[in-house]
Amino acid sequence: MATLDAYGIEARLPSGFEGRIYRRVPVGGAQTYPVAQFTTFALPADTADFGGAYVDQMRPTDIFAVLFEFGPDSLGKALFARVGLPTRLTPADFSPYTLRRGTKGQGGAQVFFTQSRRPFTLYVVLGSYSQRLVLVPRVNDLLAGLTVRAPSPAGVP
Amino acid sequence: MVAVVVALALVVALLGVLVAGLLRSHADIIRALHSLGVGVGDPAGSAAPDHAGHRPPGPAPVDVRLSGPPLPAERSTAVHDLEGVTPAGDAIVVSTSSSPLTLVAFLSSGCVSCAPLWDDLGDPDRRRLLPAQARVVVVTKGPEWESPGAIAAKAPEGVPVVMSTASWSAYEVPGSPYFVLVDGRRRARVGEGAGRGLAEIADLIAQAAADAHPPAPAGDPSGATAAGAATAAATQSQATALGLNGAEREAHNDAVLRGAGILPGDPSLYPRRLEDVFASTAPWNQPDGRDDSASGLSAPGPADR
Repeated sequence: MATLDAYGIEARLPSGFEGRIYRRVPVGGAQTYPVAQFTTFALPADTADFGGAYVDQMRPTDIFAVLFEFGPDSLGKALFARVGLPTRLTPADFSPYTLRRGTKGQGGAQVFFTQSRRPFTLYVVLGSYSQRLVLVPRVNDLLAGLTVRAPSPAGVP
Repeated sequence: MVAVVVALALVVALLGVLVAGLLRSHADIIRALHSLGVGVGDPAGSAAPDHAGHRPPGPAPVDVRLSGPPLPAERSTAVHDLEGVTPAGDAIVVSTSSSPLTLVAFLSSGCVSCAPLWDDLGDPDRRRLLPAQARVVVVTKGPEWESPGAIAAKAPEGVPVVMSTASWSAYEVPGSPYFVLVDGRRRARVGEGAGRGLAEIADLIAQAAADAHPPAPAGDPSGATAAGAATAAATQSQATALGLNGAEREAHNDAVLRGAGILPGDPSLYPRRLEDVFASTAPWNQPDGRDDSASGLSAPGPADR
């Protein structure tokens, strides 16, 4: 089982998944935070944080998931009131309208939460909304292997 | 007279020492052979009797038994996901089952032979020499052996670069540059070796494809039928990907088939044998390499390399 571990995020990937955990280089004094992407398809090197146009090319059986961290100024905000990384989603959590890009046939889910005093959003896209009963268990296999640790004392997650 | 006798005695003594040495050497050889399981002269190693119970004339054959450690196995054909870090220090895992074909390029920053390959991989036009469905991933040794800065300076744009010494070990890479071609559906290596440029690598891939799928003999309809089946599978996948169903999907499939020259009544639409259906072409030759149809690659073996 392949494992990703960086910036306080650890992912034990189920078979068939690939991914990366990165942090964009700050530009113009902006602060950046870690992003973790997981896919069942070939993840292009230049993929946007939430998949961008590559999400349109997903096969019906594909899954794209991203764990996106927000800055500490988001801590305590109502949007991040949910505590704890979601470890189990249901088919009812997905909708064809919860998509950043409205691609026909796909379904998405998005959850905002706080884990270890770090605010995140989890965004998941299914290649086919109609196959959510088959795909959601695979998403849950992925979520079961995710761990988020508290930020380091130096302030670098 | 006394001198002659003394000289002869010395000669005899010298010869005796030589014979003793030869006997000792012979005994050492016999002992070594015995420890290797080669029973020269061992009654247990004599020829087996025939049906009548008589042993054949002549010297008893030597029975060789392997009692030492086994010889190293052939190179493994197993595939492994590529797990490491990027030159920027981010964590990355590339799954070799994410694409129909993954071309893993094991390169180094310092090797002279790698220089043209780094350049070729950074040139989109040169990369087009490779099959469209082949995903290229560069793997260098990890940061403990390679300078991330040097690799970052050479990293081709749009190509994932994984720094992973473990992957070099897992794929038994003898040196750089070295290429491994992985069939993602079968999770198996279908070819590996060294090459000096992408053109040469592309030739090797094409050769591997040709070896896996020799052209059908003239008059054999199975080739055309297989092509039709592959096209049909691809159109089905395309229609599914487009979210088409019912009449829309049927119309789309008909249009794609017509575009491929397959008209109503075409014999390829009516396979007569099971092999006609499943003898599809290699994934990199299919119109849509991302479909879920079965790959027709042959089992890997030494000849594939």
